[in-house]
Amino acid sequence: MSVAASVRPKALTSWELWGRLMVVPYLVIFVVFVVYPVVYGLWLARDPQNYVKLAEDPVFFRTAINTFVFLVVGVNIKLAVALGLAGFFVTSRWWIKVLSLLFILPWAVPSIPTILSVRFMLNPEWGVINTTIFKLTGLDGPNWLNDPTLALTLSILMHIWKSLPFWTLILIAGRLSIPTEQYEAASVDGATSWQKFRFITWPSMKGLYFTSLLLSMIFTLGDFNSVYLLTGGSPADLTHVLATLGIRYLRLDQIELAMASIVVALPFVLPLVYVMMKRLSK
Amino acid sequence: MKWKAIATETKLLLVGIPVFLWTMIPIYHLFLFAISERDSATSGRLWPKNPTLQNFETVFGQKHFYLTHFWQQLGNSLLIAVAVGALTLFVATCAAFAISRLKVRGGRTVMNLALFTYFIPAAFLAVPMYKTMSNYGLLNNRWSLILAMVTIAAPYCIWVLKQASDKLPWELDEAARMDGATALQLFRLVYLPLMVPSLVAVGTYSLLLAWNEYLYGFLLLSKETDLTLAVALGNFLSADDSPWELLMATGFIYALPPAAIYYAFKRYMVSGLTAGAVKS
Amino acid sequence: MAAVTFKDIHKAYGKVKVIHGINFDIGSGEFVVLVGPSGCGKSTLLRMLAGLEEISGGEILINGKVVNDLESKDRDIAMVFQSYALYPHMTVRENMGFSLRLRNADKKTTSDRVANASRILNLDPLLDRFPRELSGGQRQRVAMGRAIVRDPKVFLFDEPLSNLDAKLRVAMRAEIKALHQRLKTTTVYVTHDQIEAMTMADRIVVMHDGIVEQIGTPLELFDRPGNLFVAQFIGSPSMNVFKAQVRGRQASALGALWPLAPGVGHEGQTVDYGIRPTDLVLGETGIPAKVVVVEPTGAETELLVQVGALGQSGESDQTQTQTLVVVMHGRTAARPDDTVYLNLDAHKAHVFDGASGARLG
Repeated sequence: MSVAASVRPKALTSWELWGRLMVVPYLVIFVVFVVYPVVYGLWLARDPQNYVKLAEDPVFFRTAINTFVFLVVGVNIKLAVALGLAGFFVTSRWWIKVLSLLFILPWAVPSIPTILSVRFMLNPEWGVINTTIFKLTGLDGPNWLNDPTLALTLSILMHIWKSLPFWTLILIAGRLSIPTEQYEAASVDGATSWQKFRFITWPSMKGLYFTSLLLSMIFTLGDFNSVYLLTGGSPADLTHVLATLGIRYLRLDQIELAMASIVVALPFVLPLVYVMMKRLSK
Repeated sequence: MKWKAIATETKLLLVGIPVFLWTMIPIYHLFLFAISERDSATSGRLWPKNPTLQNFETVFGQKHFYLTHFWQQLGNSLLIAVAVGALTLFVATCAAFAISRLKVRGGRTVMNLALFTYFIPAAFLAVPMYKTMSNYGLLNNRWSLILAMVTIAAPYCIWVLKQASDKLPWELDEAARMDGATALQLFRLVYLPLMVPSLVAVGTYSLLLAWNEYLYGFLLLSKETDLTLAVALGNFLSADDSPWELLMATGFIYALPPAAIYYAFKRYMVSGLTAGAVKS
Repeated sequence: MAAVTFKDIHKAYGKVKVIHGINFDIGSGEFVVLVGPSGCGKSTLLRMLAGLEEISGGEILINGKVVNDLESKDRDIAMVFQSYALYPHMTVRENMGFSLRLRNADKKTTSDRVANASRILNLDPLLDRFPRELSGGQRQRVAMGRAIVRDPKVFLFDEPLSNLDAKLRVAMRAEIKALHQRLKTTTVYVTHDQIEAMTMADRIVVMHDGIVEQIGTPLELFDRPGNLFVAQFIGSPSMNVFKAQVRGRQASALGALWPLAPGVGHEGQTVDYGIRPTDLVLGETGIPAKVVVVEPTGAETELLVQVGALGQSGESDQTQTQTLVVVMHGRTAARPDDTVYLNLDAHKAHVFDGASGARLG
């Protein structure tokens, strides 16, 4: 059996060469701007003393709770609303179509002006909300951003306002991929709207929903703007989340603590990342 | 059966109207402030007593302390956004082509590395990135922001482009090879023309990401003339007696381009970005 | 010198071997069809010739030169793909001229060659259209035009007609054959459709599970299939085959005795007895069979008959009955449930060894 001819080791074909060349730009960026910062960051956080300081810092403790609430409450509400709206936006009415065009705005538009706009609306003295309350009831409205619970809630709402359109779009795409015949058949079988949801929509969308939920949690962890621009962490550093906490420590010239606070979050973030990668990498 | 129709419409409106109000109020408020005079802006009215365009005039004329570098900063935002869009497009397109069509060895690993980066919350990467740029001597240099944004935008773009690439029939590459195409010719003459919609989506996405970015600009740039408009707007906040109406006017100007670009490229954006989400 | 030579070709994907040693030559100007069921390796063999698959073992030669390590573009071949693989963003003209454009050929050469190919294939009115505006048959012709412009030593076709409807397939078959007669270029054509093979080939290579079962002209394969597989693969409707025992100068099967040519098989041997539907003749006497279905197709009539259900030899064994297909010219008065009598010429019978499937006699 003559095998020799085609088995001798070949030089790199031009195709393989170009293949490797073309991933180089990204790899360079990856090494220089991801690997180095990550390794460096972990190195900065190496001192166990940092973690002791973190544990003793009440701000950190409060931040952890805030972040937890943000994630568990905020993201779930957001995705649930997105799911509902996905069903709403696929209904065909001319005005719903128009509405869907406007609905994208919070996401497409930069967050600084809009968050600041909301911040001004909430101003206790001359903001639109309190002046309207005063006009209608003669009472002074609450100092929205001075109450930690209210402030955090408003941050969560701000975050939802900004990111809801994106997730609604994703879920709409998922919803549209369900063949209409299934719904028509169900109508003929006499199903109610709720039954259609339970037996057709939900089974098809379950996977996408949970993937979106996980991904949204990762993104929400990174949402700096919604908290910083609205409350700045006030009052008294009671409304920080992990994203803003790092910057706070940085501002206080305590960069090791900043890194440590991030490292502490890793045991929660990495499993999320792992699951996401399994779901999405092909 | 008319009652049923009315009930359905009512239910829809019960959803639609709150959604409309919820979506538009902050934006309308922004607009409201932008066209209000100094004093009436803070009066809490729903429509200004004397709507005016003067605020815009002030902004464009850089006639206020906080606005002295408006045009420069607007230019910075524009420059950085375009640079990020172009550079990300280049990096991501090459990588996606190599992984999807050239089937380069280790392609899956690169894809996974990119995905991994995408899943790191950007705010977490910000602090180490700040120190990194400092170590590289790039602080206060526009390039630090550009490269940081490319790093953040590229992974998602590579993923989207790879998904789109995989949908192209494999036989096109084989036919091109038989016709005598080299890898570069395949890339230039067959691949790129067929990927245009996805390329537009990805380029626009990166551009908007950079334009809208606050945190990284805030960390990496400090000289006033270097700032992007986003960061400059944030700086308004630190004063007690800031001219709120000017701030909103500037913000409104700043918000217009992304909205306009999004609507112009809406077709590509929606299909391009959700393509990967639903495995059809 | 042969145009194409396959020398001891092997192919494996990792541990899985799919081609187990293929050897044959293709003469210059010949139209050779590789035919076989799905998964037999014919497309893989073609793609190895094209340079689209690695060759695991053996050598492929084109005009005497070993091409194993040559890139597709250097082998001087052109390929027509099953799904046409036309570039969607280029017009017909640009599609056809693409290979020349890649080599930076001058405008005159390009337009001349494109015009020439276009004329041969009647594509002139379509030159400025895009593939999405063309019908399946038109796209197929553009794909062929693209191959012609290359002016290659060998044309390769990979199941080009599979995506077309039946009528169009018949028309395109004739066109491809006419093209070959005109250009006289060596052609290697892959299909799973044995009718295409029979009508178009100078020679047919029947493949099965990674080996060559038989090579021959269409009529050779039809008249003298070398083994059971080829016998059942070639010919439509397929050959009737049933198990039989050799008893003297006859074969016993289905409760009847079937004629054998002299010297075929030895006493007691278990064989596979084959007879083509067109070689079974209805007569006044012969092997009795019960009519199950009568299918007149106009010029011919196809009958499904059941042999051996009548138990007249006293054996009501289940395995002793089988439905055979009979194809006859003209019409018949026979109706379902009638009894008819089958006759055949011993020399028209194809007898194969029961164990190996090899042809006997």
